[in-house]
Amino acid sequence: MSLVQQLARTAATMAKGHLVTLRELFRKPMTIHYPDEPVPHPVGFRSIPVLKVNEESGKLNCTACGLCARSCPPAIIFVESFIGEDGRRKQWPAKFDLDLSRCMVCNLCVEACPFDALEMSEDAELSAYTIEDLYFTMDELAALWKTSRSVRIAGGQKV
Amino acid sequence: MKGVGAVAEHPKLQGVYSPEEAAQAAREGTVEPLTINLGPQHPSTHGVLRVITTLDGETVLKADPDIGYLHRNWEKIVESWHYPQIVPFSDRNDYLSAIFNEWLVCRAVEEAMGIELTERAQVLRTVFAELNRLVSHQMWFGTYAMDIGAFTPFLYALRDREWAYDLFEKATGARQLYAYFRIGGLRNDVSDAWVQELRDYLDYFEREAYPAYMDLLYNNEIFRVRSEGVGVVPKEVAIAYGASGPMLRASGVRHDIRRVERYGVYDRCDFDIPVGKNGDNLDRATVRMKEMIESIKIIRQCLDMLPEGEVFSPKTPRVIKVPEGDWYVRVESPRGEIGLWLVSTGGLQPYRMKWRAPSFVNLQLLNYMTRGEKIADLIASLGTIDIILGEVDR
Amino acid sequence: MQPEWMAPWLWTLILAVVKTIVVIAFVSLNAAVLIWLERKVSGHMQNRVGPLRVGGPAGILQSVADIIKLLAKEDFVPQRGDRWIWWLAPSVAFAPAFLVFWVLPFGPHLVVEDFNVGLIFITAVTSFTLLSIFMAGWGSNDKYSLIGAMRAGAQLFSYEIPMAMALVAVALATGTLNLTAIVEKQRHMWLIVPQILAFLVFYISSVAELNRTPFDLAEAESELVAGYHTEYSGIRWSMFFFAEYTNLLTSSALAAILFLGGWHGPWLPGWAWLLIKTYLLVFVGMWIRWTLPRVRIDQLMDLGWKFLLPVSLVNIAATGLYLVVVR
Repeated sequence: MSLVQQLARTAATMAKGHLVTLRELFRKPMTIHYPDEPVPHPVGFRSIPVLKVNEESGKLNCTACGLCARSCPPAIIFVESFIGEDGRRKQWPAKFDLDLSRCMVCNLCVEACPFDALEMSEDAELSAYTIEDLYFTMDELAALWKTSRSVRIAGGQKV
Repeated sequence: MKGVGAVAEHPKLQGVYSPEEAAQAAREGTVEPLTINLGPQHPSTHGVLRVITTLDGETVLKADPDIGYLHRNWEKIVESWHYPQIVPFSDRNDYLSAIFNEWLVCRAVEEAMGIELTERAQVLRTVFAELNRLVSHQMWFGTYAMDIGAFTPFLYALRDREWAYDLFEKATGARQLYAYFRIGGLRNDVSDAWVQELRDYLDYFEREAYPAYMDLLYNNEIFRVRSEGVGVVPKEVAIAYGASGPMLRASGVRHDIRRVERYGVYDRCDFDIPVGKNGDNLDRATVRMKEMIESIKIIRQCLDMLPEGEVFSPKTPRVIKVPEGDWYVRVESPRGEIGLWLVSTGGLQPYRMKWRAPSFVNLQLLNYMTRGEKIADLIASLGTIDIILGEVDR
Repeated sequence: MQPEWMAPWLWTLILAVVKTIVVIAFVSLNAAVLIWLERKVSGHMQNRVGPLRVGGPAGILQSVADIIKLLAKEDFVPQRGDRWIWWLAPSVAFAPAFLVFWVLPFGPHLVVEDFNVGLIFITAVTSFTLLSIFMAGWGSNDKYSLIGAMRAGAQLFSYEIPMAMALVAVALATGTLNLTAIVEKQRHMWLIVPQILAFLVFYISSVAELNRTPFDLAEAESELVAGYHTEYSGIRWSMFFFAEYTNLLTSSALAAILFLGGWHGPWLPGWAWLLIKTYLLVFVGMWIRWTLPRVRIDQLMDLGWKFLLPVSLVNIAATGLYLVVVR
C-alpha cells in the first residue's frame, strides 16, 4: 500500500469515527435521572422474598413447614413454628426471619413453597447503613408484601 | 510436545531477554529491570487480577498473573449443596455470561439422570445462551476499547447492552445473575410480546449499534495498528496451552463445542464459526465481532422454529438424585469451553464438581503473548483474552 | 498614561500586578468553563447528560463546586518522594500555560505585552510543561509516575520539534515573529490556506503537547493509572488539571491567531471572533479526544519523527522556494 493510499484510508476511517460521535452529540441522552425519576421494573423482577398475607383472614399463608428454609442455598431463612399453650406445634410461624445481606435472590424458596405463602417483591430500594438492618423479621416481610408489588413465578408459566 | 517446543523457538523472542538473562544482565549492571505490580487495584485488570510485570523500560520481560483475590471456594461449597441449589450459585462464576454456567450444571445433571427436555425448553435455552453471548461480546468490545484508550465505545456498548438486559429482566427477573434454568427445563416461559421485542432488539443492534461499533473503533486506523501483530499466539501454542473459544479460533483452529457436541438446537441452526489467521489481537477482535453477527443469526433461526408447549419437562423427578458415576460435560461460552466434571456417589449432593474455567486456561497465555512487547500491549492483550476473574478464581 | 507624581518603577510594578491579575482571572475563568464544556461535550457524545445539578439546568457551576471540593480535600504527600520537586511541579505546570497568554493578541491593541519575538517566546515557554511533568514523575517516587514522566519526556520533546518547524514556516510566510503583525498580515487571506500543512502539523503536535487522546500516553489511564500525577491529590492535582485546560485554551488560541486570522471577521468585535475561533478549535480537540483510541509509544515516536518532522521540513522548503521565486 502506497503512502498516499494509506493516508487516504486513515483520513477516511478517522472521519467516519468522528461522524459517529458527532451524530450522538445531537441525540437525546438516554440517561434516566434515577432518584428523581422512577425506574419501572417489569413484572417478575426479583428483589427479596416476602411473606404473603391472606386477603380474607389477614393472616400469613405460611404454615412454618420449613421447605423454603431447606431449599435456600445459603441457608438464610430461619423458620420456627408457633407452639401453642397446649405445647403443640401450630400451623403458623412464630419466627420467619430472612438475612437479605446473604440472599442470592434465586427464587428457589418461592418455588419450594407449597402453600403460596412466599412471593418475590420487586422493591429494590432496600439499602441500609448497617448489615444488621438487612435482617428482616416476619412482620417486616409481611409489611413489604403490602407496600410493594410481588409475584410468584414458578413452574413454567408465561411471563 | 511439538507445541511447547514452539514456545521457545518463537521468533518474537529473538533478541529479547529471558527472565534469567535479565537477571544476569542486572547482576552485570547492563540493564536494571523494573518490577511493577499491575493490580490488584488497577483500572484495567478487569477485576482483581495482579500481574507482576518485569519491565525493561517500556518492554515487558515477564508478565506473571497472580490470581486468587476473588477465590470463594465454589467447588468445595457445592459439595454440600443439593443439585438445584447449585444452579443459581454457578451464575456467580462467569457473571457476564451467567446463562452458560447454569446451562452447564443443568446439562450435567440432566445427562446423568437421563432427563429429556421439551422442545420449547431446548430452543429457548439456545436463544438465551446466544443473547447472552451477544451481550458478553458487547461488554468485551467496550472494555477492550477502554484498554486501548478509547472511552466512548465503552459507553455505547453499555447503552446497547441495556436493552438486552431489560429483555433478560423481563424474562428471568434479573439483569445479570438470572437463576433461570432449572434442572429439567426453565423456570418460566416467555410471552409472544417478549419474542417480538427480542426481534426488535436484534434489528436495532444489527442496523444501528453494530455499524457504529465498526466505524467508531474496529475500522479505525489507530485500532488497527494497535492490534495488528500484537499478542501473537500461533496455532500450536494455542493448542499446547489448552486455549479455547475465540482465543483458539483466532489462531486458526476451527473448534467450537457448539459443533463438536450435540446440545441445545445448534445442530439444526445454520451458522458459521469465524476463525482468524495469525492469532493476534486483531484476529481475536475480528472473531468476536463476527460471532456477534452469528449469534444474531442463531437467535433469529431459533425464534422462527420456536414451538409451542411446556418449558419444564413433566418427567422431571421432584427429588433430584444423581446415580453413581462421573460425567464430563462442556458448553461453549463466550470465553471458550466451560467444562464440568461431576462425580456422584449417588444421592442429593455431588461428591465432586470440577469446573474448567476457560478464562483461567486462557490467562496462562498472557506471559507468552506479551513477552518482548510494550506495556501498553500487555494491557491490550489482557483485554483480548477477555478474562472474568469470578471464573478464574472461582 | 503614567501620572506625573509616580516613580517609574512603581508604575511598572502596579501595571505588572494588574496585568497579572487580569490574565490569571481570564485564564482561570476560561479553564473553569472549559472543564465544564469538556464534561458536557463528552457526556452528550456518549449519550449521557454530563454535569447537571450545580448551577441551573446545565450544571454550569460544576467547576466551582469541584474547586471547593478539591480545596477541602486531604493534601497527600508521598513520604519517600523528593518533596521539594514534588511540591514545585504543579506550579511549574501552571506557569507556562499562563505565560503564553502574555503575548496573545485579542485585538489590534488588545494584548498584554506586544512582544516582537512572540513566536520564539511561545516555543521557549511551552517547553516548561515537560519540566513540570518530569518533576512530578520524579518527585512522586512512584513507578507509574516515573514511566509516565519518561513517556512524557520522550513525547513532548519529540513533538516540540515539528511544532517549532511549523512555526518557522509561519514566520517565513509572514516575515515576522510578532503575533500582532502576523494577524495583521492575514487581513485578506487566512494563513491556513497557503500553510495548510503547517496548520495540520501544528495542530497534531499541539494535541500531543497537551497530552490528550490519542496521545495521552503520559497519563494513560488504562496502563499507568494516572501517569505522572498518580500521587497527587486535592488542590495540587487540580493545578495540573487547570494547567491542562489552560494549555488547551492557549494552544487553540494560538492556532486561531496564527492560522485562522485571529481577530479578523465581519460584524462582531475582534476579541469575540478570536474567542469563537478558539472555542471552535477547542471543540475539535474534545471531539478528537472522545473518539479515538490511544496510540502506542513507538507509534507515537514514529508519527513524530518519521512523518510530522519530514512534512514540516518539506513545508518550510516549499515556503522558502515560493518566497524566493515570487519575490
